[in-house]
Amino acid sequence: MNKQIQVKVLFFGATAEITKIREINIEIPANMKAGELLNQMICKFPSLKNCSLLMAVNQEYANAEKMLEDRDEVAIFTPVSGG
Amino acid sequence: MEKIFNKNFCALTNEPIDVGSISRRLVPENCGAIVTLDGFVRRFTEGKETLYLVYEAYEEMALKEMQKLVETAHEKYDIEAVTIVHRLGKLQVGETSVVVAVAAPHRKAAFEACQWLIRELKRTVPIWKKEIYSDGEKWIEGESPQKLSSNYVSD
Repeated sequence: MNKQIQVKVLFFGATAEITKIREINIEIPANMKAGELLNQMICKFPSLKNCSLLMAVNQEYANAEKMLEDRDEVAIFTPVSGG
Repeated sequence: MEKIFNKNFCALTNEPIDVGSISRRLVPENCGAIVTLDGFVRRFTEGKETLYLVYEAYEEMALKEMQKLVETAHEKYDIEAVTIVHRLGKLQVGETSVVVAVAAPHRKAAFEACQWLIRELKRTVPIWKKEIYSDGEKWIEGESPQKLSSNYVSD
């Protein structure tokens, strides 16, 4: 059996409204990339497809190739609009 | 939530912002100018009326990104101190949403740094704005990620 790791996934603004979740702990296979987790979330919440999506891992912007580690904090959100 | 580093100060707050006191938080004696941006809630955007705004932040990351911007601004411009405060929660029309204050020996660097800081803040600091209209509401999406660096995930 493949090793599982646990990550915390955060949603903000539009993505929190779509998923109706702000924070969730999930188990994923070890060696999963950020982009794969994003695709998994889009499958679960198809309306996310209507947004441009960015990710951060441990509070740093991350690209799809970023390898996830146990206890990582992953955030999924739309392009920022502060100011 | 706030962070003080060297002479700089970054904060997120749910309370109304006193622009004057933020602007003059530091008045360094080697400086002769503070350029302050007072960004506030606009009623009409391309003819559409906004009743009020709601801002939300990924607070820990937002503070880190603000600090990075301030550090880069110090590398790029001859400035002495930067203060950035962004309001969160519900804001009425006319209320200040963001203040960027830059103190420098001379005004030119302060103007340039202030302009650069607000532009980058709007591109990179994880804060989102929801506009509420009389007939609905909408989370505003910033610049599309394609225009950002390739370090960002795009759809």
